[in-house]
Amino acid sequence: MRKIGITTTVPVEILLAANCKVIDLNNVFISGDSYSEDIERAERDGFPKSSCAWIKGIYGACLRCGISEIVGVQEGDCSNTGALLEVLKTRGIKVYHFSYPASHNVSDITIEMNKFMKAFNVSLEQTEAVRTSLSTIRKYAKAIDELTYIDNKATGFENHISQVTLSDFDGNPQKCGQLLEAKISEISKRQPRKQLLRLGYIGVPPMICDVFEYAERFNACFVYNEVQREFSFPRAAQAKDIYEQYYDYTYPYDLNFRLLEIKKQIRQRRLDGIIHYTQSFCHRAIQDIVIKQELDIPVFTIEGDKSNCLDSRTKLRLEAFLDMLVDLRGLKQ
Amino acid sequence: MKILGIDLGSREVKIVLMDKNSIIHKQKISTMTFYKNYCLYKNGKLEVDIKNLGFSEDVVAVSTGYGRNNTDISKFRQITEIKAHVYGAIYQTDLKEFILLDVGGQDVKVIKVEKGLITDLEMNDKCAASCGRYLENMSMVLEIPLEKLTEYFEAPVELNSTCSVFSESELIGKIAEGVSMERLCAGVNYSLYRKLRPLLFKFKGKRLVMSGGVAKSKSLAYYLTKDFDEVIMLKEPQFNGAIGCCSYGSLF
Repeated sequence: MRKIGITTTVPVEILLAANCKVIDLNNVFISGDSYSEDIERAERDGFPKSSCAWIKGIYGACLRCGISEIVGVQEGDCSNTGALLEVLKTRGIKVYHFSYPASHNVSDITIEMNKFMKAFNVSLEQTEAVRTSLSTIRKYAKAIDELTYIDNKATGFENHISQVTLSDFDGNPQKCGQLLEAKISEISKRQPRKQLLRLGYIGVPPMICDVFEYAERFNACFVYNEVQREFSFPRAAQAKDIYEQYYDYTYPYDLNFRLLEIKKQIRQRRLDGIIHYTQSFCHRAIQDIVIKQELDIPVFTIEGDKSNCLDSRTKLRLEAFLDMLVDLRGLKQ
Repeated sequence: MKILGIDLGSREVKIVLMDKNSIIHKQKISTMTFYKNYCLYKNGKLEVDIKNLGFSEDVVAVSTGYGRNNTDISKFRQITEIKAHVYGAIYQTDLKEFILLDVGGQDVKVIKVEKGLITDLEMNDKCAASCGRYLENMSMVLEIPLEKLTEYFEAPVELNSTCSVFSESELIGKIAEGVSMERLCAGVNYSLYRKLRPLLFKFKGKRLVMSGGVAKSKSLAYYLTKDFDEVIMLKEPQFNGAIGCCSYGSLF
């Protein structure tokens, strides 16, 4: 089967219709044992200190996994992806481009998706057939999300993993569906968690995955993972076609569109506070200014670089923040 | 019920009594005297003799500072120094958005407060060269009262050392060169500011609130006004931690 790497969530339905095994290089990088070696390889090959660890990790993981074809997102995601693709081209890797148009209207998205279908020689009917076949798995991811914020049974990290998995369906949709189904049955049997604080996580998936477990030690639980949830397309069932589904995807478009959904989820999930994760050298760290202005609940920002675990200063900061947030919550009650 | 707040600092213990959200009493005791005269050791725990301090047993007691983890837990609710200082600053200023600089005897803390909550912080580690003890040493070397020393800010003589002990030698050298007292004092104050600056660097913002004993320094406030739009010196900078304990205690 043709193996194809992706740099972020792209219309996976089209790639699956083309009978490709899709590999999200972010997931391969962050969950691999050779995580730091992937970054080091990129730095040895000349990637500057001042570029983001995700870009370096994708590069390293791409070479480590012997990927020969890659889809990169040049508009709507990290602008450094463009340069990454140029370097990968010189390593003999075939590159495909996909864009989430800044205009954010269905007609421009349709043009982009039609180009993408053409590049993979796939018809709209074939794509829609795959979209339908994936709906059950998307429902499983949604069920785990509900087990997190309605039933209070799934942890923030379990929620994170179950949602990000849907960017590439772990390279095998059928197996991915079975794993999620088993997870739902395991989580459903648990007693609900009793933490006082309900936190939301916004921003790109973290480099430092222990942030979920660490925060949950302080009478807090994560009941919302913004971008991870978007990767799973929770509103796909309401979209009339694939074009509308990728129109109603907040992550690659403008911040205001993202914030509308975040605000809705703050209300629906009754959040007490937000942890905003930003990546060093990423433009999204600048968006933190607007996010803090626009959200009416406390926002705590963590910046991650290369390390995959929380440093002691960030732990102390987080503990102090949650300590006061518990006070505030106590006062409200 | 009245609330007793105690901040066990490195140089002094600060005590505040609050009733109906107003401060009705405050006092300072040197840390050594406090431990010698007002504390008892029972089962490895430090028990504060509240009666001997002149307060009735019928108070809500909240403590913070160095000794907070060892004080008698049955009487005192302990909170972190960071939290105590933030509660104290909110009580004293009624503000919810600021950067708090707390310079004590041997500690520096910079805390960012947004929407009334701590969102970032930085503390000195390893070295206390930018704390109150440095100013005390220098006032002894220059034989000038501390309050007077901290008034001078113009034309500071350059003191290069990042170490407070070496700074002392450097200062003596400058005295021998015949540099004026005003410039020597300003030099001490400027060097303290310069040592604080790396900690403050990450916290560029509009409003700075100063607490801790060193917050009384007029020269430090003068240098800091160049980095912030507004610099607020708390009315009771040294009692801020103890006030914060009371304020916290009155909320819960």
